[in-house]
Amino acid sequence: MTDGRALLELSNIVKRFPGVLALDRVSFDVRAGEVHALLGENGAGKSTLIKIISGVYQPDEGHINFSGNTVRFNTPAAAQNNGIATIYQELLLYPELSVAENIFMGHAPKTRFGTIDWRAMRSLAREQLASLDIYDLDVNQQVGSLSVGNRQRVEIAKALSQDARVLIMDEPTAALTGADVERLFRIVRLLRERGVGVIYISHRLEEIFELADRVTVLRDGACVGTSQVIDTTEDDLINRMVGRTIEDLYPKQLSRIGEPVLEIESLSRPPLTRNVSLTLRRGEILGLAGLVGSGRSELAQTLFGITPAQSGCIKVNGVECLIDSPAAAIKLGIAYVPEDRSTQGLIKPMSIRENISMAVLKEISNGNLINHLAERELAQKNINQFRIRTSGMEQKVEKLSGGNQQKVVLGKWMASAPDVLIMDEPTRGIDVGAKAEIHRTMSELACRGMAVLMISSELPEIMGMSDTIAVMREGRLVASFTRGDATQEQIAAAMMSGSRSESDEGLVDSNSTKGAAA
Amino acid sequence: MNTAASTAVSPAQQRGVLKRILRLFASQEAVLLLALVALFVIVGSINSRFIAERNLYSIFLGNAYIAVAAIGMSMVIISGNIDISVGSLIGVLATISGSMAVAGYPLVLCWLVPVLAGVLISSFTGYIVAYLKIPSIVVSLGMLSILKGGLIAVTSGEWITDLPEGYALAQLKPLGVPLPIIFMIVLTILAALWMRFSNTGRAIYAVGGNAEAARLSGISKQRTIMKVFAIHGGFIGIAAVLFATQLSVIQSTVPPNLELTIITASVVGGVSILGGTGTVVGSTLAAILLAAIGSSLIFVSVSPYWLRSVQGVLILLTVLADLYRRKRQRKQGSG
Amino acid sequence: MSRVAPTVSRMPSVLSTARRLALSHEGVLLIILMVSLLVLATQTDRFLTTDNLLNQCRLMAEVGLVALPMTYIIITGGIDLSVGSILGLCAIVLGVAWKNYGLPLEFAIVLCLVTGAAAGAVNGYFITRVGVPPLIMTLATLALYRGFAEGVSQSRSVRGYPEWFYQFGQGELFGIPTQLWFLIAALLISAFVLSRTVFGRALYAIGHNETGARFSGLAVDRYKMLIYTFSGFMAGLASFVFVSRVSTTRSDMGTGLELDVIAAVVLGGTSIFGGTGTIIGTALGVVLIQLLKNGLALTGVKGDATIMVIGVVLICSILITNFARSRQATEKPGD
Repeated sequence: MTDGRALLELSNIVKRFPGVLALDRVSFDVRAGEVHALLGENGAGKSTLIKIISGVYQPDEGHINFSGNTVRFNTPAAAQNNGIATIYQELLLYPELSVAENIFMGHAPKTRFGTIDWRAMRSLAREQLASLDIYDLDVNQQVGSLSVGNRQRVEIAKALSQDARVLIMDEPTAALTGADVERLFRIVRLLRERGVGVIYISHRLEEIFELADRVTVLRDGACVGTSQVIDTTEDDLINRMVGRTIEDLYPKQLSRIGEPVLEIESLSRPPLTRNVSLTLRRGEILGLAGLVGSGRSELAQTLFGITPAQSGCIKVNGVECLIDSPAAAIKLGIAYVPEDRSTQGLIKPMSIRENISMAVLKEISNGNLINHLAERELAQKNINQFRIRTSGMEQKVEKLSGGNQQKVVLGKWMASAPDVLIMDEPTRGIDVGAKAEIHRTMSELACRGMAVLMISSELPEIMGMSDTIAVMREGRLVASFTRGDATQEQIAAAMMSGSRSESDEGLVDSNSTKGAAA
Repeated sequence: MNTAASTAVSPAQQRGVLKRILRLFASQEAVLLLALVALFVIVGSINSRFIAERNLYSIFLGNAYIAVAAIGMSMVIISGNIDISVGSLIGVLATISGSMAVAGYPLVLCWLVPVLAGVLISSFTGYIVAYLKIPSIVVSLGMLSILKGGLIAVTSGEWITDLPEGYALAQLKPLGVPLPIIFMIVLTILAALWMRFSNTGRAIYAVGGNAEAARLSGISKQRTIMKVFAIHGGFIGIAAVLFATQLSVIQSTVPPNLELTIITASVVGGVSILGGTGTVVGSTLAAILLAAIGSSLIFVSVSPYWLRSVQGVLILLTVLADLYRRKRQRKQGSG
Repeated sequence: MSRVAPTVSRMPSVLSTARRLALSHEGVLLIILMVSLLVLATQTDRFLTTDNLLNQCRLMAEVGLVALPMTYIIITGGIDLSVGSILGLCAIVLGVAWKNYGLPLEFAIVLCLVTGAAAGAVNGYFITRVGVPPLIMTLATLALYRGFAEGVSQSRSVRGYPEWFYQFGQGELFGIPTQLWFLIAALLISAFVLSRTVFGRALYAIGHNETGARFSGLAVDRYKMLIYTFSGFMAGLASFVFVSRVSTTRSDMGTGLELDVIAAVVLGGTSIFGGTGTIIGTALGVVLIQLLKNGLALTGVKGDATIMVIGVVLICSILITNFARSRQATEKPGD
């Protein structure tokens, strides 16, 4: 099916942003009828590259060749008209409009009078969905009422509604559950059969081995190499991605694990926290694995009082307590470094000083009156301790790099001197150097007796940093392992298997939760 | 999976038809229509003078211009903006129309120039919103002061009288139906069709619903907003002419809070203040409903001074119902 | 962003601070204020007199009092359109409680303030607990509260208050209008609270990023509840001063007040998107509007036509600040 000639070819693309060389002479091509995976850590330049292909950005140097002609896409619309379709990470749909209309927004079929032909639009939408083997979606339904997996299928149909010859998929499985992932793979294979060139971006190596024909690895904005998937191994790809081995990456020190700090029993808040029990001890790093949407962040937010539990029991230092607000959680010594730094972790337009003092401002103030001296001391202490690279504490947080932003979030929570630190995807979107620093800090904190609950989608991170590993699926704890006991395959299997557990609530859970508590 | 899907085709479609009928009844337009009918039946049975022809005429006639203005306002709100200067704009345009008539210009010009002026002035607002990126609430707040102040400066607050014969467009009754009512109905239908069947019409929903997605679909946010404001200006112009030609005098003081009455009609009509959803049919029905409620208070011996309370409660009910609907939808979506 | 090395930035800090001040919105306003003072003073010699200026302070007290909590609310990204109606309702409660129900006037004043706070608390409750967008919620209560005022009073005015009552709106204390003391006290307290306390910091945090504030353990809902209640309370206080100043209570008092107040706050540099704004800016905005109105009136511009200038100044001042900011922000890194 692959005819060997490139359908789309990028050569020596350079893209600069103020202060950053985002892409450094990157060459990349995709052929008709192949799935070409693009791999790289966050910040390696994948997103910039696809934004250049899809016309959102224009390259500073280099050129793009599309089916034999040199082209330049100045707008996303220009790229689309040439048959390059993109499915972005954040789904770009109109929740208030119908499935049919979402598919054809911007290029709806017309009647003779130049008006939108709704009847044709609905039937074309149905055809479009049928061509993707989708028969269970009503084209009149409002997209807002669909599940995430179905929304994504609408998004794919939308992308393909303009005779796409190249389809870019940016982490399409990030928010999907097992069954939806399978359906998605079927669609991708179908498209490959039809001769569409698919550029597939994913963090999940196993998907690449299952789906892709070739793989290109990017690191720090440069191309590290392209190879046939069958000629390569997982270790090989990881090495190319990070440029070093797992042992260097995860400087986990052994710490003394002490008495339980946080004990939860049958904690529930449907739909995504169901009957969860686990124990977190002083000095322990507990890695919580699971797919996105498996309920890990929801559990963390329940523990932190953002979405209080509906039933179950939480004990902190042996005392049963009620956590109904973040303020209550902070008072009990729980801190939460959230997944979404930009909207949850930081107030980006405010200064480093103001962000660091945010959670403890009342404590370092005289009553309601802010003690500016104490606030500045606190900020300076944290800047020094976490080696935040900045021109000063008055710098706005939005001007910092991702890694330094994350250190500000850490500093903010360390100021509250917590016993329990919950870290949700602590190194997402952070460059390799800063990542190691965050990991080192995490390890040091555990050694000093802090209990850390770490949520991560990167299995190497889970395996490298955790003393105990727990796996969540569909709101439940389904397995647990101790350090060194588990292989990546075992954890991955626990994350994905049994696509939908329907009736086996009691059995599996009681076993595994005991395991987690032990 | 596959077999289940292929056998499920026809039931799914059947369910689709049923769902569509149900959805029709659950729509804001249907609710408003039912409320309107219920109001006429109930109040009419208490006091039959309420549904007497004269009263019905006065409800529709006196408020047609609000419904027409609400069409434009709905478009603006659906696009994710707002215009609080409409009250003053109507005052200015009505005055332009009246002054021209008194000065002896051909009547056709007196009716057309205000519409053009409306398009121009509103386009200016739209330009500042779309291209200079100042929030519409702030720009239109500024425009409100400018227009209102300008109007008073020019007219010194005096009323326009001695309007020429034949100027009273609103008094015409082709086919026995007063012209404003014809305008209201025809413009509502035209606008509804345009919103549904034209590219720009759909682009308004796209921009208001998800501006980033619209941009990536090749829809220009700036141009769409600019167009919306221009068209909105046209509707305001027509509303102003209907307002001006209603009575034998034109007051240079616009009815206070007119902009809020118009926005209320849009919101009660089901247009979400967050943008991206709503229809002009709903806003017209809501404008009539609000007027009918106002009129009905007298007939059931409630002091009309309670009218605004009733309007307030109506807005609240509409929004609470909308919030409830969204919450349920989110639950379905995550399930 | 790395242009300025830390050691260099210390040296010209005085200069750069001065430049930043001049470029800040407050700086721009102060310059406009100075220029207009000079120009107006040369146009008429009745403008720059102590008597005239003190009298203007009397007139701007109500807008000023309500503008303080409005600044808080807009800083959090909210808005309160109902302040004018709350003022009307409170005025009616004051008058009706005293006249019709024969309560002691002192008690009626307290009742008036409590009503204001309660009306604001209702707004706050629906906004924080039910999740109604502030714009819609306060649009609904704008109608609702005005309706209450009209319904309760049946649009009849109340007059004939005892002599001591007029002291607050018409009297003087140490040669300065009584209500100016209220305003100055409220202004100082509000400015202090906003810039120096945990509460003030939280308002900015909420305005920039409400989710982030919540995830930092700030009691977002409680703070929002407080400011909407505070807004109602201040509208109550303003109504009391207003009634005392004009010697009468009418149900249409404060109509359109919300727009004057919002114009003053936005003119004062508070971003309608939330996150930025100061009490000083708002104070400058209130003063500038009042002086322009007065100065223009004295130079012969008729009545309410003076508000035209407010619109122009409002739009221009924001355009200038936006322009200055975009010039400064050219070094912003692409994400």
